[in-house]
Amino acid sequence: MAYSNFTLEGVLTAFRLEIVESIGTFSNIEPVAPSAALAAELEKKVPVAAAINTEKARSELIVANVLFELLEQFNRRISFFSGIDFSVDVESGLTGVCDFLVSLSPMQSLLQAPVIVLVEAKKDDPAPGLGQCVAEMIAAQRFNAEKGNDIPCVYGAATTGTEWKFLKLKGNCLSIDITVYPIAQCDRILGILSSMVEQKA
Amino acid sequence: MAYSNFTLDTVRRAFQLEIVESAGIFSEASKVVPQDRFIAELAERVELAISSGTEKARSELIVTDVLFELRKHFNRRISFFSGIEFSVDAEQGLTGICDFLVSLSPILSFLEAPVIILVEAKRENLTTGFGQCAAEMIAAQRFNKEKGNAIPCIYGTTTSGTEWRFLKLEGVRLHIDRAVYPIAQCDKILGILASMVEQKV
Repeated sequence: MAYSNFTLEGVLTAFRLEIVESIGTFSNIEPVAPSAALAAELEKKVPVAAAINTEKARSELIVANVLFELLEQFNRRISFFSGIDFSVDVESGLTGVCDFLVSLSPMQSLLQAPVIVLVEAKKDDPAPGLGQCVAEMIAAQRFNAEKGNDIPCVYGAATTGTEWKFLKLKGNCLSIDITVYPIAQCDRILGILSSMVEQKA
Repeated sequence: MAYSNFTLDTVRRAFQLEIVESAGIFSEASKVVPQDRFIAELAERVELAISSGTEKARSELIVTDVLFELRKHFNRRISFFSGIEFSVDAEQGLTGICDFLVSLSPILSFLEAPVIILVEAKRENLTTGFGQCAAEMIAAQRFNKEKGNAIPCIYGTTTSGTEWRFLKLEGVRLHIDRAVYPIAQCDKILGILASMVEQKV
């Protein structure tokens, strides 16, 4: 059992989560304009990623660039990790590799609490990534608590690079925003990610 | 059996390759100076990739950008693919997923011949990638021939993003360049890749 085995239904049952679905939970958040460099890059990279159409290309050409921009906007006061093993509780199935995660610690050589945003990349549709993402968010909640660095909310994103869906976990209450944010609205996506880092979302 | 199962020794025996090691076979390639934005971001991306330490981070933050820059240099007349399945001959073990490959066709939606450069990403120890890369190069040779687009040489590189090593396959002769090119010489690395695309080396 690992993160990738969880469906949304499976993770809700296993961890007794309460689910709140809504449209536009994150849509009132102030957009953050991307740098001119990112906007120019995305204009070129998004079509290439969509044409190659593998999860790997989408992660490399879009997701990593968006998270790199987030790092820049916070002047490197945060860190992001790609493809690291994040095993927290083997018995509960909270083990495996996370596509991307963002920590509020600036330390980049070693993952430190608190882990704040978990990002699950998918090739075709972000929705099948939700279960896995939620399992990782629960793991982050436990990881943070164990390290004595409890924060009230942990956030998640499931994305194909071109489409993004966002989640929020507070205690055992999971909020799912059923709005799909397209990469054309990169300023909204960056705004949402920033407000997650600031724990305002 | 798949590309990842091959060591340099098993690929040599299976396909009766003649291995020629030499120093600096690619050193004459002229440099290609990357665009300003690439250089401006490179130092930071390299630093982040090194501290993250995973093959995934290195691929996302460095290798993808280098290949994207290569495609820009050729005004998108070439294509590159990331993480696609490239299965050519299952019986001989020439199957599996290639980290990256470059084709001389501009089409991105599917892979067209001729495939010219095979890129194998490694977290560290580039020599361990030689067998896998050579097997992919042999597959490319066959793929091109089958599609009636045989080209005299196929090239390969194994890279950690921060360091690059280069290979060339001409018939059954596999040339391995002993030189290791650091990303600090990214103009040289781009120059070598460009000369491969132009089939000048």
